Amino acid sequence: MPVELAVGALRDSRRGIAAWCVGVAAYVAMVAAIYPSVETSPEFNELVERYPEVLKSLFGIVEGGDITSGPGFVDVELFSFMLPLLLLVLAIGYGARTLAGEEDAGRLELLLAYPLRRRASVVAKGAALAAQIAVVSVAGWATLLVIDPLVGLALDFGNLCAAFVGVAVLALFHGWLALGVGAAVPSRALAIAVPAGAAALGYLVNGLHDLAGWLAPFRFVSPFWLVGSSPLQTGIDAAGTLVVLAAAVVVLAGGALLLERRDLQTP
Amino acid sequence: MEARQYDRAVTATPAIETVGLCKTYGGKVRALVDLDLRVERGEVFGYLGPNGAGKSTTIRLLLDLIHPTEGRAALLGLETRSQGVEARRRVGYLPGDLRLPDRLTGAEFLGSLARLRGHVDEARRDEVSARLGAILDRPLRHLSKGNRQKIGLVQAFMHRPELVVLDEPTAGLDPLLQGEVRALMREVAAEGGTVFLSSHSLDEVQHTADRVGIIRSGRLVDVDSVAGLRSRSLRRVRVAFANGVPRERFDRIEGVRVVEEQASLVRLLAPETAMDGLVKTLAEHTIVDLVSEPADLEEIFLELYREADGAG
Ligand SMILES: Nc1ncnc2c1ncn2[C@@H]1O[C@H](COP(=O)(O)OP(=O)(O)O)[C@@H](O)[C@H]1O
Ligand SMILES: [Mg+2]
Repeated sequence: MPVELAVGALRDSRRGIAAWCVGVAAYVAMVAAIYPSVETSPEFNELVERYPEVLKSLFGIVEGGDITSGPGFVDVELFSFMLPLLLLVLAIGYGARTLAGEEDAGRLELLLAYPLRRRASVVAKGAALAAQIAVVSVAGWATLLVIDPLVGLALDFGNLCAAFVGVAVLALFHGWLALGVGAAVPSRALAIAVPAGAAALGYLVNGLHDLAGWLAPFRFVSPFWLVGSSPLQTGIDAAGTLVVLAAAVVVLAGGALLLERRDLQTP
Repeated sequence: MEARQYDRAVTATPAIETVGLCKTYGGKVRALVDLDLRVERGEVFGYLGPNGAGKSTTIRLLLDLIHPTEGRAALLGLETRSQGVEARRRVGYLPGDLRLPDRLTGAEFLGSLARLRGHVDEARRDEVSARLGAILDRPLRHLSKGNRQKIGLVQAFMHRPELVVLDEPTAGLDPLLQGEVRALMREVAAEGGTVFLSSHSLDEVQHTADRVGIIRSGRLVDVDSVAGLRSRSLRRVRVAFANGVPRERFDRIEGVRVVEEQASLVRLLAPETAMDGLVKTLAEHTIVDLVSEPADLEEIFLELYREADGAG
């Protein structure tokens, strides 16, 4: 039964998930703990003002935005780079490992000889990946929620939830892309390279299209642009987030169907 | 009685049926060519061939792990391509190159596989584990090859499948355990189940299998019962000459092959049908000794390989 495949996958990676939760929570707490000293030091704003335009653009430091405000600080320090990076690493790593990696290691042969449809096993592994992203996101979200009153970030609750939904959807898309590529072709290297490359391009297009006008038309295909930057200041783009979610479903389903059509690779 | 037999004929689809089954890898490697095979229910079928003959390819086609270039196959009357899930529910499989997860223990791994099947008789799982002496409480990465193989065998038998497909199952097992695996296979057949057993060594299957199929370079060379193979009446002939081995080439006689030639001694393999011609040719020389005895199965088997080689 495919459900067992998803549950089993989670059971097998429970230690890894716990470690990710601790790591993300610790990082979030550390960044938040710096905030009181930033809030009271005007030099921070001046320092950031002197950043090169490219960096400001990448980190979503907007003209008129106040990065010494709680939401502005969290947007720049967590959501503009580090949190998406951490969750993407988790998602792409797991997405490539769970199917392409298992096939490379020769362990898929026994599994596929069981009474499962191949597409069901891809979907089950996709569900396990989604659950991992959700758990780690909740760990980060809960940490910020608890620490906010202590350091005075004054975050909007709705925006806080939306911000984590946003990064989780970004991670899900790239993780399912890794899973889908690994299902379509028996190569763990490709299953990492394709989503990692896509993420780098999407991130740069989103961050730089203001500075480099020729990039502007491409922003529509950047998941980062679709979800929206500065989620704690402005929320996320609901329609764009749904588009990314739909794209995630498409790449997973495409991979699942292609896996059914090809030969299993044996070592 | 007659009615029952009629019923059987209608309902008892063969355990395995392949028709014109072909597999060509990457458009070049013809690993399996036009395989027509029928394995009946209740038999242990030995699938014999040297390394690279196409045994694993055949088995992977049966389990729908790879797709045929041409032809079709059915397990228990279920088409592998369209009804594969239903077929695999009733099949147990041991891969030739078994790879297991590192971190799980044998018990955890078997438990997870049992849940994947949805229905596994735990008593049966424990029974097979105990008979094979499988180590269940240690992480699989700490187990020797033989002990990992036992875990693989347990999962192949634990759900009482109607068909068990084993790809070179006794690799790495000591002789005592090979006997136990043989007993498990015979029991499955005795209960009406079917075992498809691949091997590169005749010795492994001759005491287990009812029938043997011999595959060479992707082609099925021969299918016969073990008894039938034995009765091929291949003779092993040893001749000692008084004045050294004559120049004469004995292998010019139809069916005769020279296995070894020493100063005054010749060893030959010859079918019974060739014995008359052979003896008459030998009689032209002075002979010290002549021994003729039935060849053993391994020699018959090797002879079949050789013939197929010559043909291909
Ligand atoms: N995935 C593959 N790609 C290309 N060639 C393969 C592949 N798998 C097997 N072969 C080739 O097909 C032939 C049959 O292999 P196989 O079925 O594994 O033989 P056996 O199990 O009898 O040792 C061999 O020549 C082998 O090299
Ligand atoms: Mg093989």
